[in-house]
Amino acid sequence: MSSLAKNFTNGIVRSNPTFILLLGLCPTLAVSTSLDNAIGMTGAVLFVLLAANVIVSLIRRWIPNRVRIPTFIVIIATLVTIVDLGLQGFAWSLSQSLGMYIPLIVVNCIILGRAEAFANRNNVRNSVADAIGMSIGFGVAILLISLVRQLLGTGTLDVFNVRLFSVPGLIDNPASILLLPMGAFFVIGLLLALFRWVGVSECE
Amino acid sequence: MAKERTGSYPIVFLTLVVLVSVIALTVVNAVTEERIAANKREAIKQMLATLFPEMADFVYAEETGLYSLYDERAVSVDEETGESSVDQSFPAVGYAFMTNGKGYGGEIGILVGLEIDRTLRGIRIIAHQETPGLGSKITKTDFLGQFAGLAPDQLLLARDGGAVDAITGATISSRAVAEGVAAGLVDMSAILGAAEEGGQ
Repeated sequence: MSSLAKNFTNGIVRSNPTFILLLGLCPTLAVSTSLDNAIGMTGAVLFVLLAANVIVSLIRRWIPNRVRIPTFIVIIATLVTIVDLGLQGFAWSLSQSLGMYIPLIVVNCIILGRAEAFANRNNVRNSVADAIGMSIGFGVAILLISLVRQLLGTGTLDVFNVRLFSVPGLIDNPASILLLPMGAFFVIGLLLALFRWVGVSECE
Repeated sequence: MAKERTGSYPIVFLTLVVLVSVIALTVVNAVTEERIAANKREAIKQMLATLFPEMADFVYAEETGLYSLYDERAVSVDEETGESSVDQSFPAVGYAFMTNGKGYGGEIGILVGLEIDRTLRGIRIIAHQETPGLGSKITKTDFLGQFAGLAPDQLLLARDGGAVDAITGATISSRAVAEGVAAGLVDMSAILGAAEEGGQ
């Protein structure tokens, strides 16, 4: 496998930010109550991670080691503010449901972690591959968690106000505990266990 | 990579990064500012319209927090710019204001709608973090519908001597809404009195 492809798939499987690295769990736990939120969050993370990786990679030769973390934070915070203002201006209802978790992307360890561990040491092409792979890895994880939480927690599966299907019986008596913060821990814990169990032979 | 540079270089570098960031954000802010303000206003308008279907537009007084609502007689649209304006010499069709209650999961934001004679038209929940499936039922019309026409001294739960039936399993959330509305009415009474006199 070429290094580009390896860097791309790395974030999806081997170093999946949520299920393997356990990074950025705060927004993952908090906004994974509906598929709408998960899609919006994935889009925001993709944009910020991609742009941050590209910018850091482009200027990596000039970033002084001693102020590299403040530099990353300024870059990331700027990008996140752009996303926040953009969503408020052009996707109001999504920005309302994601609420404060958009500003919190600033301190999302996935993005700072990739800037520090990857983009600061690799060229732009590889950093782009890394950012897209990591975002897909994050997206798959948060979509899976939201799918379980929304389906069992509300008994229905709605995406942007379109009802895909509903579970009769569950809809009148949904397991709303899954929509609570503790429900997020249950779901992510069980999914983690599942992936470890399935992938244990490959990892070793 | 020759990154270990010393002296004033790190300071100059970081200052440059911040400068670029400031410029970028100034541009983005300039582009989105108006749209965001319009979106916020539209969101409030839609919420108000669920309480006052006859409302065409509203005027918000920043210093008092009072929304004065007007029907289409008072609203005129500038044909050239497409902007609508409200002629406040027409009588208002109602008033509204925001208040909040201390819920189980944090503050509950409540929009209170009043008739021109200051009786309650109804309330809407703007924001809350109550427990899904229990406290979150405060947003349901079954609960909210009780508030229409209540007098200030009835704004207590039935078990506290008022006229509001609590949601089963969500007494704290229900009480927070009733008491939040009551407290908001007290705070607003002076402002409402002034608004009424000014409007006559």
